[in-house]
Amino acid sequence: MKRNKKWTFMVLGFMIATMLILSACGVQEGSDIPEDGPFQVTATTGMVGDAVKNVGGKRVEVTTLMGPGVDPHLYKASQGDIKKLDDAHMIFYNGIHLEGKMTEILDKISKEKPVIAVAEKIDKKDLIKTGDNEYDPHVWFDVDLWIQTVKRVETELSNADPKHKEDYQKRANDYIKKLEELDRYAEKQIKSIPQERRVLVTAHDAFGYFGKAYDIEVVGLQGISTASEYGLKDVQRIVKLLVDREIKAVFVESSVPKRSIQAVVKGTEKKGHKISIGGELFSDAMGKEGTVEGTYVGMVRHNVDTIVSALK
Amino acid sequence: MSMGLTIIITGALVAASCGFLGCFLILRRMAMLGDAISHAVLPGIVIAFLMSGSRDSLPMLLGAAALGLLCTFFIQSLRSQGVQSDAAISVTFTALFAIGVILVSLYTRQVDLDLDCVLYGEIAYVPWDTLYLFGNNIGPKAIWGVGTAFILSFLVVGLFFKEFKIVSFDPQMAAALGIPVLLIHYLLMGLVSITTVASFESVGAILVVAMLTVPSATAYLLTDRLETMLAISVGVGILSSLFGYWLSLIFNASIAGSMTVAAGIFFILAFLFSPLHGVVTRWLIRRKMRAATDQP
Repeated sequence: MKRNKKWTFMVLGFMIATMLILSACGVQEGSDIPEDGPFQVTATTGMVGDAVKNVGGKRVEVTTLMGPGVDPHLYKASQGDIKKLDDAHMIFYNGIHLEGKMTEILDKISKEKPVIAVAEKIDKKDLIKTGDNEYDPHVWFDVDLWIQTVKRVETELSNADPKHKEDYQKRANDYIKKLEELDRYAEKQIKSIPQERRVLVTAHDAFGYFGKAYDIEVVGLQGISTASEYGLKDVQRIVKLLVDREIKAVFVESSVPKRSIQAVVKGTEKKGHKISIGGELFSDAMGKEGTVEGTYVGMVRHNVDTIVSALK
Repeated sequence: MSMGLTIIITGALVAASCGFLGCFLILRRMAMLGDAISHAVLPGIVIAFLMSGSRDSLPMLLGAAALGLLCTFFIQSLRSQGVQSDAAISVTFTALFAIGVILVSLYTRQVDLDLDCVLYGEIAYVPWDTLYLFGNNIGPKAIWGVGTAFILSFLVVGLFFKEFKIVSFDPQMAAALGIPVLLIHYLLMGLVSITTVASFESVGAILVVAMLTVPSATAYLLTDRLETMLAISVGVGILSSLFGYWLSLIFNASIAGSMTVAAGIFFILAFLFSPLHGVVTRWLIRRKMRAATDQP
């Protein structure tokens, strides 16, 4: 079979040559931020995009990759997302591994243009530890922590576009004032729920920071990833807790299937305890663009109001 | 090089290497091996995470590769002990996947450790995921990784082509001729395992599983010669990548999904119009024959 071997090596040689030629051409360099008119910023989640919009104002044009109702853990890129990442002058993302494997790509893009993980600079001692070197990425539900990310957005925008530094500073300060007010509102509202009933039962552990910041116990059905299944024991444990402490409501989330939480509702009914589904909370994604819940402030307010009216 | 071209070439490379090996799997009725490996690697990444404490690419890839090899090894061992191919595949991968699920629920509940998040790549990001050698950008990692796997497969199969061919069609005769049948089996399974894991890391699961089966099934309908089948399978794979990228451009959809749909369209065309086995072709031939016999 000499002929076969000759063929093999010929084709092989051709393939290796093609590969070398192909790999010689890389991605072209990113372009500079234009002098006037808005420049392009791409954000991964709606929350990050909202922060950039508020600090950047008219100077930036923000596109987000993960739309309303999209779970970042399950997000799939589409063809158009390539352009969004390629055209952007700056990219902002959450960080702390929220974006999963995409983080590595963002890291690579950072060689060409400013790519910023907004939650990265938060002091590690303020973060909730989930493993040796792993932290809970859902920082946006502690408004106080989120203010730090807004400051980070301001710094980075000013660094990239120093001419408009004062504008960014002014808008960031105005926005932070609003957020501080929101923080006080959330604290006050949650406090109005009687201490023993202050328990938030939900399908996905996205509310760790919320619980920590506003002193409400958070009980989740699943682990932190939406992909890990909940066990039978989890359901039983939560049913027992609900019955024992006479908690009035559990919550569904916009980006997690309702099925898992309904198993708990059925379980408590069997034990003779009536429970209601307290309404939809926003967890990993914000509401539709253009609605009140489509902004960060609106989303947090909606969550707080829903929780308070169901548990009080 | 434009982003689109990089993506098309990566897709074509994945399609070519999977389509090439897929032909041998189809002939052995083991087409679902790719799907099996895609699930069986879960315990590998959990163990790699527990050992390294990080979710970086390299430990995840090594863990997945180890489990991929182990999975194919188990499947081949069961088969050579007389268990049917499909049963051997499903028993092995469900067991391994289940072990992975248990490990996740025991040790890593608090960490986001699912395959989508730590192992499976996304073909859309391939152009940015470049390799650096001595500080020089030497092009997309996926092209190097999948390209190397392809060259390896092509080299091994090309050098032992006669042996691979006889073992695929008639293992008894191969054994009688003194060919180490078992070694060839393990060799093929090992190549499949390496190629699939390398491709998962670059482009995700669905594209790999599809390209391992659909182009070779298409080629199977179009020819009865192994050499031609291999060429057609690789060709259909490359065309699927091109056509699929065009589809994703039009519909602004997932690229891997569109490429898979394109491969499916090619299969349906072959299924209907293949000159040998096509449904429509056979109907036309029957009608012609009937017309001929009806004539007095």
